[in-house]
Amino acid sequence: MTETNIGAPIKRVEDKRFLTGRGRYTDDLNQPNQLYACILRSPHAHANLKKVDVSQAKAAPGVIDIFTGSDMAADEVGSLPCGWQIHSKDGSPMHEPGHPPMAVTKVRHVGDQVAIVIAETKSQARDALDIIEVDYEVLPAAINMDEALSGKALVHDDVPNNMCFDWEIGDKEATENSFSDAHKVVSIELVNNRLIPNAMEPRAAVAQYDPSNGNYTLHTTTQNPHVIRLLMGAFVLQIPEHKLRIISHDVGGGFGSKIFHYAEEAILTWASAKVSQPIKWTAERSESFVTDAHGRDHETKAELALDKDGKFLGLRVSTKANIGAYLSTFGSSVPTYLYGTLLAGVYKTPAIYCEVKTVFTNTVPVDAYRGAGRPECTYLLERLVNKAAKETGIDPVEIRRINMIQPDQFPYQTPVALQYDVGDYPRAFETALKASDYEGFSSRRKSSEDNGKKRGIGISTYIEACGIAPSAVAGALGARAGLYESAQVRVHPTGSVTLYTGTHNHGQGHETTFAQIVSDTLGVSIDQVEVSHGDTGEVQFGMGTYGSRSLAVGGPAVLKACNKIIEKSKKIAAHILEASVDDIDFKDGVYSISGTDRELAFGEVSLAAYVPHNYPIEELEPGLDENAFYDPLNFSFPAGCHICEVEIDPETGEVEITDFTAVDDIGRVINPMIVEGQVQGGLAQGIGQALMEGCVYDNEGQLLTGSYMDYTMPRADNLPNLNVSTESVLGASNPLEVKGVGEVGSIGAPPAVINAILDALSSLGVEDISMPASPSKVWQAIHNAQ
Amino acid sequence: MEMSGEYRIEASRQTVWDALNDPEILKQSIPGCEEIERLSDTELAAKVVAKVGPVKAKFAGQVTLSDLDPPNSYRISGEGKGGAAGFAKGGANVSLKSDGEATILSYEVDATVGGKLAQLGARLIDGTAKKMAGDFFKNFAEVVTESKDLNSTENLNDADTNKVNHDINASKRPKIGVGSWIIGLIVAAAVILAIIVY
Amino acid sequence: MPTVSMTVNGESVSSEVEPRTLLVQYLRENLGLTGTHVGCDTSQCGACVVHVNGKSAKSCTMLAVQAEGSEVSTIEGLADGDTLHPMQEAFRENHGLQCGFCTPGMVMSAIDLVQTNSDPSEHDVREWLEGNLCRCTGYHNIVKSILAGAKAMQG
Ligand code: FES
Ligand code: FES
Repeated sequence: MTETNIGAPIKRVEDKRFLTGRGRYTDDLNQPNQLYACILRSPHAHANLKKVDVSQAKAAPGVIDIFTGSDMAADEVGSLPCGWQIHSKDGSPMHEPGHPPMAVTKVRHVGDQVAIVIAETKSQARDALDIIEVDYEVLPAAINMDEALSGKALVHDDVPNNMCFDWEIGDKEATENSFSDAHKVVSIELVNNRLIPNAMEPRAAVAQYDPSNGNYTLHTTTQNPHVIRLLMGAFVLQIPEHKLRIISHDVGGGFGSKIFHYAEEAILTWASAKVSQPIKWTAERSESFVTDAHGRDHETKAELALDKDGKFLGLRVSTKANIGAYLSTFGSSVPTYLYGTLLAGVYKTPAIYCEVKTVFTNTVPVDAYRGAGRPECTYLLERLVNKAAKETGIDPVEIRRINMIQPDQFPYQTPVALQYDVGDYPRAFETALKASDYEGFSSRRKSSEDNGKKRGIGISTYIEACGIAPSAVAGALGARAGLYESAQVRVHPTGSVTLYTGTHNHGQGHETTFAQIVSDTLGVSIDQVEVSHGDTGEVQFGMGTYGSRSLAVGGPAVLKACNKIIEKSKKIAAHILEASVDDIDFKDGVYSISGTDRELAFGEVSLAAYVPHNYPIEELEPGLDENAFYDPLNFSFPAGCHICEVEIDPETGEVEITDFTAVDDIGRVINPMIVEGQVQGGLAQGIGQALMEGCVYDNEGQLLTGSYMDYTMPRADNLPNLNVSTESVLGASNPLEVKGVGEVGSIGAPPAVINAILDALSSLGVEDISMPASPSKVWQAIHNAQ
Repeated sequence: MEMSGEYRIEASRQTVWDALNDPEILKQSIPGCEEIERLSDTELAAKVVAKVGPVKAKFAGQVTLSDLDPPNSYRISGEGKGGAAGFAKGGANVSLKSDGEATILSYEVDATVGGKLAQLGARLIDGTAKKMAGDFFKNFAEVVTESKDLNSTENLNDADTNKVNHDINASKRPKIGVGSWIIGLIVAAAVILAIIVY
Repeated sequence: MPTVSMTVNGESVSSEVEPRTLLVQYLRENLGLTGTHVGCDTSQCGACVVHVNGKSAKSCTMLAVQAEGSEVSTIEGLADGDTLHPMQEAFRENHGLQCGFCTPGMVMSAIDLVQTNSDPSEHDVREWLEGNLCRCTGYHNIVKSILAGAKAMQG
């Protein structure tokens, strides 16, 4: 292994531009003659739009034009589409009410788009917002899920009881039977708190229309430019792909929230043709809070059936999932196939049944946020397992050992559709117990108690399905797109390489890890490799970055394209060396005839490909530029064990995380430095969910946690150092043997933290606490128990 | 939100009343008030610019007086739109009591806000409303005291007002006949509007 | 419109601005120094931290006219040609950034910390970062970077 090859903790090549302030984030870009847009948003959760009078505002200084939903409707602009169709238990397809980019007759959540003002300066646009007169007829709003399901207020008139779909998975009868055989049934009710993703860069867009050729260019903050081009071009604005270019260079974090096709992208692109000038819009953070898709928001009842030895017999789950006011791009897949299919966890539960009612409410749409469905599943499962341990008197470590899938059981078919390919759950589990000094906990607890503090330790195991996804499987489950990935490897005449990938880098470090793969495979040094992404005008196609898929699906595509390069270049080398292709060895960038000292350098062969003087021109085309599409064989299944230790001051309810240990099996590690960073970042978000973050709406649908004053984000002094390591079994679903790492932290952490808190407080009689376990909630729980 | 409060004004009820008949005094007293207009005996429109935390809004509000029981109590309800900043609506029950030479005004406000006001201001509403109400009374007392100083040579038609510190002499002002509801405006503007406005 | 003059990264600049222009807008929009970012509208994220007369300041909380006559430095002014400032280098070495959006504010803030406290403890660093949000890193590597950067700045 060289210092830059696969497995090396090489420093990131993208860092320099960020460290010197030369990133190219969307709001950093300006076009000649650019205008600025501000968007008027509904202050009401639910209202009929009786009149939107823009006449006065149009006359305001600097205002170029103002458009409303009616203007877009008059142009027959389509509805923002949903990318995943779910069917209800009875076989009927989910309700898919229209989602106009700007409201036409009704606003359905605070923040819904009402009008766009385009002006010469941003302040002029903002000033003009204030003089648009809107006559709202305020309607009763459906905010919480029970209220919504009662159907008193209908978010969409044609969706009875606001139920988008009522889905199920698993064998209901087998599960019922397991409960009748049970020695013990443990049940739990819990809420997975609604979160706001809060990537630090607010969304932004710059749209441009060229009247001379009818081409549109949209710079936007997205995780998947080709998906935006497809959705917006084909379904919303009817612009063919060759006339629409989507660019997203540097994006300041996504965590899922920048996957979706947002209304502003369509509004700006459409409006740019109306005014024939480039338009820029940048969300203010307060707009982000009420327009970026939110995450989680489940209410769940679950029961676990056990036999007399503590073996799990069956699991029954019933969940209500809030989907918000409209179906966002992947909103329907999150509480279903990304949730119910993981309910086996790392355990041998033979019978599982899960039903999910998904509900429209007058709140911001809910969609994927880091983990997407899998944190909800893991939280439920690991809280329930701990409760079962408590109620059966079996130690929480022991009950997990008893039920864990063993290494010799792979491939393991779960009762909820997935087949786990490889893994060794006991190994990560036992390693984590050691790394956290689980055995020494009781003495640490004693010293805390001597200081008047309560100490607790909490375990969570998890499994996730990522590397989304095998297209045929995804299609069978309702996905309306293929989920392969593409790569193009262009070897230039002198042997340097540009890699075009359809995945998107917004912090994950692909410009480095993908370059490592190319460098390792082709034997060129890493500074001879450039990674290009985020521009539909440059990259042939791609499905983008989410669901921890980039390395697991995009990586093998890179490998495949590199292998095509090797295959072709070997033929060229054979010709030049006057040998048979079968005799050519390629290693570390050198072609040689086996058993001789005759060799050619990579650059010599690439030059011959472009200067084909001595070239097998009858058999081979000139050039060295190959593309590949890779569709994975299966999901990949990272798994692991997270252990959290907390100390609580019973006087104040303050929870301090004293130690956090994560041992993850993520398959082959390309760059351990980046892997650690991904796990740490995910853990911070998971700990944030457990202790601090939570989205609160009042009964009228006003967002009360709409700024960093009220939505508490983890800050440096809220978090401990994180003890992160990997214990990997190589992946089996792809030739790189990777599994995916982006989401593991946010999946494993929340139940570990809450289990630790409940362990600390159990001697005080506290049996339940909901997330976020803020000091006041902890204090209240202590006092209620006494 | 709900809040209530009580202010003691060192002037007789009549004096306070008369002073409050002067839109100019009111305009100067209501923090951020740009315009006050009487639409009818029971309706009043005001434009107030207010800032709460990070939200600044020009708030156009309309206030209606009901349940009039002069000079004891009234209900004021208001609704206003703060443009892109959102909306506010609410009401206040106001009562006046004589306390020796002074007047005690008490109010109970219930208000709801929406949009950015609720989003960014929810936690600041109480503080801001109290501050604005407080500012109003302070300004009001000062403005009236100044005007009294300026006009100190004039005869006062209410002898009592000479005897207290913050006497209010408004008798020199033309009587517009705005009526008792103007006290509601204190609350409407300084509390409902202001609270609401931020 | 008033005219504002200041020194930015060692160069004197002077422009007419609307009185309500924030310093961060002035830097980004008038001067094209887009390394200073805007992450919030309530002065709570620290993405916009620059130095004004040598001290860190959130440039979204200041009007451009308030910086009249000041020496302002931004992330763009830190490196010496191709050589990164030791704090920038420490962030690179320790993987103290992922998406890079919070990074300019973090680095500017960290340098001010080290100017005030040349040998900060981990606790000092975490407390100092109270005004800077990062959503990507979990802070672990940012703290590590700043501790290393502090050492390097002394060296
Ligand atoms: S932009 Fe968030 S603190 Fe300045
Ligand atoms: S690196 Fe992305 S916000 Fe800090």
